Amino acid sequence: MSWTRRLRVLYQACFLALFLWLLARLAAGDPRDLPFTAFFHTDPLAAVGVTFAAGTLPGPLVWAVALIVLTLIFGRVFCGWICPLGTLQQLSSWLFSPRSRRESLQVNRYRRWYALKTYILAALLAAALAGSLQTGLLDPLALLARGLASGVWPMLPGGPAVPGGWLATTLLLAIVVASRFIPRLFCRAFCPLGALLGIFARFALLRIQRAGDGCSSCSLCTFACQGADEPLGEHRVAECHVCLNCTDSCKEGVLSYRFLAPAAPAPARPDLSRRYLLGSAVGALVAAPLLQAAGGGRGAARAELIRPPGALAEQEFLQRCIKCSLCQQACPTHALHPAIGVAGVEGFWTPVLVPRRGWCEFACTRCGEVCPTGAITELTTARKTGLDGAPPVRIGTAFVDHGRCLPWAMVTPCIVCEEMCPTSPKAIWLEEVVETGREDRPVRLQRPRVDPQLCVGCGICEHRCPVGELAAIRVSSVGESRDPLNRMIAAAPA
Amino acid sequence: MSQPYHHRITRREACTRLAAAGLAAGAVGGGALFFHDRRRAEASAPSVPDWRVPASPQYPPAAAASGPDPAANLRRAVAALGGMERFVRRGESVLIKPNVGWDRIPEQAANTDPQVVAELVRLCRAAGARRVVVTDISCNDPRRCFARSGISAAAGAAGAEVIESHRLAMVPAALTGLAAGLEVVEELLKADRVINVPVVKHHSLSKVTLGMKNWYGVLGPGRNRLHQSIDRSIAELGAAFRPTLTVIDATRVLLRNGPQGGSLNDVKAVNAVAAGTDQVLCDAWGAAQLGHAPASLPFLELAEQRGLGRADLKAVHQV
Repeated sequence: MSWTRRLRVLYQACFLALFLWLLARLAAGDPRDLPFTAFFHTDPLAAVGVTFAAGTLPGPLVWAVALIVLTLIFGRVFCGWICPLGTLQQLSSWLFSPRSRRESLQVNRYRRWYALKTYILAALLAAALAGSLQTGLLDPLALLARGLASGVWPMLPGGPAVPGGWLATTLLLAIVVASRFIPRLFCRAFCPLGALLGIFARFALLRIQRAGDGCSSCSLCTFACQGADEPLGEHRVAECHVCLNCTDSCKEGVLSYRFLAPAAPAPARPDLSRRYLLGSAVGALVAAPLLQAAGGGRGAARAELIRPPGALAEQEFLQRCIKCSLCQQACPTHALHPAIGVAGVEGFWTPVLVPRRGWCEFACTRCGEVCPTGAITELTTARKTGLDGAPPVRIGTAFVDHGRCLPWAMVTPCIVCEEMCPTSPKAIWLEEVVETGREDRPVRLQRPRVDPQLCVGCGICEHRCPVGELAAIRVSSVGESRDPLNRMIAAAPA
Repeated sequence: MSQPYHHRITRREACTRLAAAGLAAGAVGGGALFFHDRRRAEASAPSVPDWRVPASPQYPPAAAASGPDPAANLRRAVAALGGMERFVRRGESVLIKPNVGWDRIPEQAANTDPQVVAELVRLCRAAGARRVVVTDISCNDPRRCFARSGISAAAGAAGAEVIESHRLAMVPAALTGLAAGLEVVEELLKADRVINVPVVKHHSLSKVTLGMKNWYGVLGPGRNRLHQSIDRSIAELGAAFRPTLTVIDATRVLLRNGPQGGSLNDVKAVNAVAAGTDQVLCDAWGAAQLGHAPASLPFLELAEQRGLGRADLKAVHQV
């Protein structure tokens, strides 16, 4: 193994380890200011997608420019050296592959349908332009984080159960397993981020060069080619992952990776039919408004659509959320869960708070701190709790179900919700009554009542309510700060 | 024919490719610079303009006229205030806000009388108004309300542009003191002059609904939260919206089962119209047509305390 290949494997191992370590520290609630969002801030697909959908490039996503400049110089080194999902696939194809050299030659040949990723990119960006951001569904970084947060972490001891998490994990598993049959199939045929980087790789200053007369056409270079970019024939620089397996394996030493290498004669660009490309974009331009109109996400607020504290208004939120699951991974009470149906088709896998599974910790601002695109605003504790004098950030309001509540319906004393209520003064107050129980026995009861002016909708009351499956006090989204129309109380703005 | 794998790169090609890569980097960087934090998520709401004309001591703050012809009543009342030329100048755009809240015919007295609205349009037109818009946000289906109230036909024939509620664009506006997140009719903010034309009706919460209460009709969803403290809300509306002219239509008044009524037994023909520049005084006059003294209405008291006007019925000039 040459030093280039060793170096590349070292880089891949480090970046994969870093990705996993950051997710692990996030789940462990590490109080340090670690760069949890670094991978996503440098993600050009997220940056372009959010810019197209929202018309603005939020804050630190500008770091994506660095990765594009890196690609302009070195080609798609991100895919071959950095991307943790690429590394996992490469690992799978290396570990489980019993391929003969003849088979290797077969599976590493370029196929015209690998251009599919570019159509996918065109469709996702067109949909973003039409206001529906779906790049996160196939973004390799978001996809990997999702699969890990909703499938792998739940399996760990003490991990939270994530209903619907199997969807994300199955996709991740399918990608890794597919790589056993065709190396990096996802990268070659489906990855929109790879397609986007491929556009810039066409300008790459450093690229693979075949020089001199020494080539015996032995095809050894193609055996281990990760990108199916045919270094032997008409090298496709937009497909090349710069894994450098080809230069390493060339016995004659005619292949090299060098600065300003002469461009290969033929297709520098992927095989794209303009008709397909246009079709994908037009299809998405039609599909996006359809999803908005008929997907069930926008329009009227819904009771169960409780967004994390600091989340932008629904439309702005959907224009920024890349479904990366970082907020879900960061939530200390495991209250945030992927929306399977509650946010509509468009909002699939965006975060919602499920109070029966966890509550919004009153002084915690973790989800906003790790949101890479600003879909959830970063709050200070003083701002969130209202300590700064302005009204606190509300995510909903609690309602007592008089038919299930123990003091209201069962002549049984209970004050758990009031006890848990974190606001000061408490939003839940107790009305003292003496009720006549069975056999005319007087019972002194304290009935919980909710003050809608004080309730922030944190949901700890619902979470701790002793009434089993369906709590006797439940939070719904009405009163949330982010939607001025989802209200019941006409509190004058302070 | 060139040998692709043998040629060395020429200076020209090297320059071209470096320039191409540089251009691409520049384009990406420029794009990022252009879009970087270009738009914040929050948008600031515009404030509501003041449509009043300067006060003039030679004219009374309000004038009322009665007689069998509603249009003549309006003309006399406006003439007593100095004529429409005092309020509307040549080339201005005017928005007229009647009450078109309900799917009722004029005889049921749930909406402003169409003859009063039409005459108002004609007066504005005669004063040289470039454009006269008649609009309201109805509670029932706006198509039915505008048609059955007779206002679409009458105001349209008089030369107004009648805009039914479902065709109105709404914008957020800064309405301090009222519920958060209320939107108002965009046409209202664009108008040079605004004339408020309520009808005198009973209301189960505020006792009467008149001019200041009529501003509910320019607000979008969420206005139903204002009923939680209706008297304070009405006074706040009076402070937020300052019309050029208020015209109180008491051609027919609704005595009971307001604000939508229904039975002709609840309607009384008063055959009077008042116009004025003082919203509070106009509302006091309207309340008097239903037999309420100004002091018995908390919203009038709150509005007076806020300095929005004077509910002194003696100041109304009878013509």
